[in-house]
Amino acid sequence: MPNQTDSLIIKICGSAGDGSISAVEILNRACALMGFHIMNFDSYPAEIRGFGKSVGHTRISRSPVLTPGRLADCLVSLNDVHAITELSRITPDAVILYDSKPPDYVEEDHAIAGFIQPGMTGYGIPLRDLSTQAVKSSRSRNIVALGALAAIYNMSLDAFMEAIAIRFSRKAAAVMKNNETALKLGHDFIVQHGERPARIDLQAQHWTRTDISIISGNEAAAQGALDAGLSFYAGYPITPATKIMEYLAKKLPGRNGVVVQTEDEISAIGHVVGAGYAGKRAMTATSGPGFCLMTETLNLAVEAEIGIVVIDCMRGGPSTGLPTKTEQSDLYLAVYGGSGDSPRIVLAPADVTECYTLTRRAFEVAEAFQTPVIILMDFFLSNRFEDLPGSIFESFRSGVFEKIQAIAGDDPYLRFAITDSGISPVAYPGMKGLQHTITGLEHSPNGFPNYDGDNHRRMDAKRQRKIDNIRFAWPSPEEIGSPDRADAGIISWGSSIGAAMEAIRHPDLSGAAIAGFFPRLLYPIQDGALKQFSDRCAELIVVELNSSGQMAGMVEQITSRKVIRLAEVPAEPPAVESIVRQIQGVLK
Amino acid sequence: MKPPHIVIIGNGVSANRASEVLRENDPDVRITLISREFFLFYFRHKLPAFITGSIDEDSLIVHDLHFYMDRNIRLRLGQTVQKIDLENKTLFLSHMEMVHYDKLLICSGGQSHIPEIYYPFRSFFTTLKKLSDARDIRKKLPLINRIVIVGGDLTSLRLADALIRSGREVSFILDDFAFWPIESGPDIRHALETALKKVGATVISGDPLERIERISDGDPPEYAVYTRKGQQLRAQMVGAFFGFKPDVDFLIRSGLDIDRGILVDDRLQTTYPDVFAAGDCAQVYAPHLNNYWVSIGWKNAIMLGEIAAANMSGSEQPVSMPVEQRIRFSDLQLKTPWWHAL
Repeated sequence: MPNQTDSLIIKICGSAGDGSISAVEILNRACALMGFHIMNFDSYPAEIRGFGKSVGHTRISRSPVLTPGRLADCLVSLNDVHAITELSRITPDAVILYDSKPPDYVEEDHAIAGFIQPGMTGYGIPLRDLSTQAVKSSRSRNIVALGALAAIYNMSLDAFMEAIAIRFSRKAAAVMKNNETALKLGHDFIVQHGERPARIDLQAQHWTRTDISIISGNEAAAQGALDAGLSFYAGYPITPATKIMEYLAKKLPGRNGVVVQTEDEISAIGHVVGAGYAGKRAMTATSGPGFCLMTETLNLAVEAEIGIVVIDCMRGGPSTGLPTKTEQSDLYLAVYGGSGDSPRIVLAPADVTECYTLTRRAFEVAEAFQTPVIILMDFFLSNRFEDLPGSIFESFRSGVFEKIQAIAGDDPYLRFAITDSGISPVAYPGMKGLQHTITGLEHSPNGFPNYDGDNHRRMDAKRQRKIDNIRFAWPSPEEIGSPDRADAGIISWGSSIGAAMEAIRHPDLSGAAIAGFFPRLLYPIQDGALKQFSDRCAELIVVELNSSGQMAGMVEQITSRKVIRLAEVPAEPPAVESIVRQIQGVLK
Repeated sequence: MKPPHIVIIGNGVSANRASEVLRENDPDVRITLISREFFLFYFRHKLPAFITGSIDEDSLIVHDLHFYMDRNIRLRLGQTVQKIDLENKTLFLSHMEMVHYDKLLICSGGQSHIPEIYYPFRSFFTTLKKLSDARDIRKKLPLINRIVIVGGDLTSLRLADALIRSGREVSFILDDFAFWPIESGPDIRHALETALKKVGATVISGDPLERIERISDGDPPEYAVYTRKGQQLRAQMVGAFFGFKPDVDFLIRSGLDIDRGILVDDRLQTTYPDVFAAGDCAQVYAPHLNNYWVSIGWKNAIMLGEIAAANMSGSEQPVSMPVEQRIRFSDLQLKTPWWHAL
């Protein structure tokens, strides 16, 4: 196979509504069918259509990848004005595919063809004309471009046909046929006119992977909730969490569950706490602004010891902030955002697979520890697509954490009995002989309000104790790299873990002893493991997407040492190259 | 206030020298070079050596990208000017972009000239003007052993020499219009014949090309080349080398005065204000001859680029007579005073 490379990054850029994201979705599916691994991340404007830039970014690889990569090998322009702004994010020898016959002349520097530099390869294709030929309008320019990509990179047209069939399976047969025509026209144009073949050849063994699912982090989390036995979901739409509700609205009723779109986030978590109180597996998902509104009722769940799951798909903040940009700046809010001492369990998945597995596990934890479990995802993780083997769903081992159910006896039932573990046997309304009271007020073990200082101290300690115990039951944090003394220890969390891992393995750092520490349980963090890791590292560096260094602050508190913050808010996933450069700077 | 925008069409000797001088004269002016070719400025006279593999592509490059970045010169390569609106000072590029200028310098150079008499055989001819031509020939060359060259300009002499050195069999049909637009005299033709024979070429002189037939469509194809006196040659490639003519087709409806090339006065100004032309595409007025001459050779192109840039920067510098060039080929040395009469 000539000119093989391990990975190819393609960006398709247009204005919102041009079909950039749909095109990348089809590209992903086709590539997965051809046997490649993919990691896709889209960015689009907060507005609905006709405003702003929409970019589908996908990395196609022969082996699993940890990040979407930064510099694209190929940029497809469906809107030159927007695509021009992506030129700083392509390689010096990139392929640029553009519409060679736009309807009118454009002003200077509004045509991407004007920016193609020596070393790059420009493919001017009459996207609009070919689309009109296929579907009598310009709306299939994206599909024409996909056909051209298939030819440029020697990819299987059959795989694209199959992906289109899946994408348009619910549309009329004519829609599918028209898009197939558009695809072929784009492909044939390159075959007939392509005098400059791309340097990268993606010819693959076709149809080698039949058991794959291409799903986003949001879909994986929603599926994880479904497979965990979710009974009740309430939520209010907010970017980037809305897809979770959309997914569940389609699937949960079929499993005898209920989805309620409430009037706001306060109502949503109220519904969920109510369902949790009734013993149902209940969940809500939101983003930073909605999570702020939920904090009061979240405290009720802590105080009343009700197990629920809350997903916070973080985005740039504060306030409405950057609705469609990624950030990891709600860590403090998730860990500390409550009145009083309000401990809760906070988890953060690192990739799409873990969006599934951690969500599924979160329900067990919430039920076993009778407390809210917050899952911190972010825009990047919510919206990125990965190819997952179907076996992921079957291989999950449930029952690691089990709830302790109360049994009616002769003694009065104490819903909040003080125990060594801090966990009190639980009962739900309607259970005979286990009637009890719950309240948001501080209470005695029997649930009745009690404002006595000693009682409050005991109850606070109980709630903290049960939370702390998860540190010993949860798997140890993932550690990679140097197993002994390290020049630098890299700590990261959530979706930044992939970039941190790639940075540690980067050839430019091969001369240094570097270790990585990547917890998924963020609160209570496994402090024993963290201290041991800290002790063997000359420098501690924390990689995260927020400007204050929130995880870094927590690490400093536990390790009592100053750590180096690689905390940035670029409004996009962290760049491996940037992390490598900064680590090099620290090691000098 | 935005600095004025000077656009130069072309990326050859004159264009590059002009851009350099313009930058020296004014650090703020916007300078844009637009070239149809998607290559950095390269040495055209080295193309024959590149074709036969004696040098690689990097050795052809005159200025790398840093040259332009350091001087803040915008390079637009692989972009074709389709038409010019001189009234509104706007260029229309083939990819549907408009570029506005305050001053324009046209250095579009030349294109391979094929005499009309040979038009019927154009599709059989291989020409060599651009790097893309050279790439094509280099790609085909491993399968080619016999070459017929018709014409006899400077490029063809170098190519013949390079091909013979690489082991190819070269037949040369010397043509009276090898140095178009002038007719080379018997003395020059004889000198060329002698020099070509010395490097190992078979030379046919005084017996022009009559017709070409494609007798096989294989890879490479096979051609039969006939002369007027009935000689027949077999070849896998037929090169046509009759010099270059100014590349001004895109200007035909622009309103500029064009004869063979763009007519400019001895300040290199065209009939339109703020529009200048230099290099192979220009026909420069010589007051003492009361006639126009066409630039030939690297040195003249540099001189014209410098003068055009100076005058665009506000000088009033006239063009002196063209610099005498020398052709060196084998033992042959030809001076070019006879070009003055162009």
